[in-house]
Amino acid sequence: MLNPMMLAQMVINGFSMSAIYVLMALGFTLVFGIMRIVNFAHGELYMLGALGVYYLYGKLHLNYFAALGIAALGVAAFGVVLERLVYRPFYQKELQAMIATLGLSVATQHLGVILWGTEERSIQAPYSSVLQFSGLILPMDRLVVIVSAGVVMAAFYFLLQHTKIGLAMRVVAQDPEIAQAQGIRVKAIYLAALLTAVVLAALAGGLVGQVYSVSPFMGTLPMVKAFIVVILGGLGSIAGAVAGGFLLGMSESFLNTLFGAGVAEMAAFVVIILLLIWRPSGLLGRPEA
Amino acid sequence: MKKGLVLFSLLLIVSLLFAGCNSSKPAGQGGSSGGQTAAPSQGSDKLEELKIGAVGSLSGGGTAWGVATQRGVQIAIDEIMAAGGLKVGDKTYKPVMVMYDDQYTGQGGTTAATRLVNEDKVKFVIGPIGSPAVLGVKSVTEPNNVIMLSDGFSPKIITKDSKYNFRVSLTTAEFAPPITKWVKQKYPDAKTVGMISPSDEIGQTIVPILVKAYEDAGFKVVFNEHYERGAKDFVPLLTRMLAAKVDVFDVNSNAPGDAGLLVKQIKQLGFKGVIIQTGGPGIDEVINVAGPLAEGFLSYDIFDPNDPGAQKFVNAYRAKYSSGAINAYAPIMYNATNLLFEAMRRSKSIEVDKVRDAIQGLNGYGTMFGPVKWSGKKDYGVDHQLLVDLYVSEVKGGKINPIARVKQ
Repeated sequence: MLNPMMLAQMVINGFSMSAIYVLMALGFTLVFGIMRIVNFAHGELYMLGALGVYYLYGKLHLNYFAALGIAALGVAAFGVVLERLVYRPFYQKELQAMIATLGLSVATQHLGVILWGTEERSIQAPYSSVLQFSGLILPMDRLVVIVSAGVVMAAFYFLLQHTKIGLAMRVVAQDPEIAQAQGIRVKAIYLAALLTAVVLAALAGGLVGQVYSVSPFMGTLPMVKAFIVVILGGLGSIAGAVAGGFLLGMSESFLNTLFGAGVAEMAAFVVIILLLIWRPSGLLGRPEA
Repeated sequence: MKKGLVLFSLLLIVSLLFAGCNSSKPAGQGGSSGGQTAAPSQGSDKLEELKIGAVGSLSGGGTAWGVATQRGVQIAIDEIMAAGGLKVGDKTYKPVMVMYDDQYTGQGGTTAATRLVNEDKVKFVIGPIGSPAVLGVKSVTEPNNVIMLSDGFSPKIITKDSKYNFRVSLTTAEFAPPITKWVKQKYPDAKTVGMISPSDEIGQTIVPILVKAYEDAGFKVVFNEHYERGAKDFVPLLTRMLAAKVDVFDVNSNAPGDAGLLVKQIKQLGFKGVIIQTGGPGIDEVINVAGPLAEGFLSYDIFDPNDPGAQKFVNAYRAKYSSGAINAYAPIMYNATNLLFEAMRRSKSIEVDKVRDAIQGLNGYGTMFGPVKWSGKKDYGVDHQLLVDLYVSEVKGGKINPIARVKQ
């Protein structure tokens, strides 16, 4: 059954799955790295981004990428409210924050059900053709996700490594008290980091929404996957999220295709358990002091 | 910090309360239920009320089906009232629907049935839909000698000990053999079948029945995989399935949204064979999700709105509710309510045992789905399974187009 063409197709499939996982995981790990908050509501911010694109692009017929940007900014505005109401009291309080974000996740999901119902909706892909070369297949909607994920990752890298605010984020992630002593406004950096994560989640939702379907429950499984990715890569590590996303996406593609969904699911968790025994802080995570 | 916590708690409580209000709202007391009772015809106020219980999902994942149940029962009641009431022996009754939300759960079904039986003193229940809720209702109605005409795929719904519950829709055991034979007749060159289904109880129960039906019809099932419900990316599994060279892809027991994704993703991978869903139909949602890629998709269907026998119901539905698509459970529950009324007329009584016996004796009575045929003795131990004709619909030009009526 295995031949070079199939192997190449598995790599292509793996790339598209990895891109989705990385997009989800980046914001999730950023919030933990800087504020020590495991944000279980990340999946619902992703859902809100997708619903925003559904209305702006699908109903109001704006340009897809303009709709994506406006939806992300809209969710960011909602994020400002959430930061004040929910996140701010729980900065640097890991356990309490977990419960608070879990509650926020449930509340937002049910608010979505009340406002939009449970029906699955579809965002018609702006580019719906299928690229075929030498028997290999890549749907354009997935190519949009892969390219956009690349652009988002590059922009995110630039923000963190080549801007003052990125430098401040890295300093706060290392030690908020020292950062404060050096004159960095830690609370403002927390807000900036949270909003960056919210925008990343909303962009991921808007991009993935045109590949899959959109509903108030769409964030649950990607949230679980993002959690696996960041644990795999190392909680709080940006490079780890990228590495973990690619590892999970590629392994799912290969294992699902070669052995089926049941084996793939089991094997993925066995690998994660073994990896965490070997490196408890994940692939690229910082060991706890 | 305290202020933030208080605000968050308030937000959470308000959201949950809002959800709670929505889910516990009984039909007819506001919302989009369409009203609990029909507008009384002249003189109907003098008639004695006959409470007909209804249970369905008016919140949660099965809301469309619950609303369909409510509308189907209401249209049957409207027709009876337009004819001057329900004549049972020397008396004429005014049927009134009392409906509660089961929230598409077993617990919700039990709670709804408890209220109907203990508070409203109802003796006849139409619905619900979905095995957990049906089993929940059955746990209350059966020991209290209350008649239930319901849906639900679980084999536990009708058993040899079932005295008062009847199933008015088909399960896989009933529709799989005729529909797989139809596929073979329509596509005689197709030889192999592939299936991808959820790994939960529904997938595990239904798939073996379907596999047997396909093999009895002359196919070979060469690919049969399960996935964890909630998954959205089926491309690796579909790539594997395409390597197994399947001619027919059956999306069987998948929820409509997942079925739509399977259709979309396999078409993107270049599949040119037959795609069919021999499971609970949700063609509208498949079209919503798969868009133009749903073209040519076939599905088991319950109802053909263009069928001449269905026109009376369709016209009544369109006049009262909407001109859009009619959820297939509306005519099913309309039919169930009519069977109940006919049994009351025939038994000249509203006593439960007499009505139950009359329902069992309705064989041959003409309905919009054809003559009544009770079966089930062989599979379930009692002839409480209604056999009706089924339909196959095809997506053509983005619309649902019934293409065949398959007789039982």
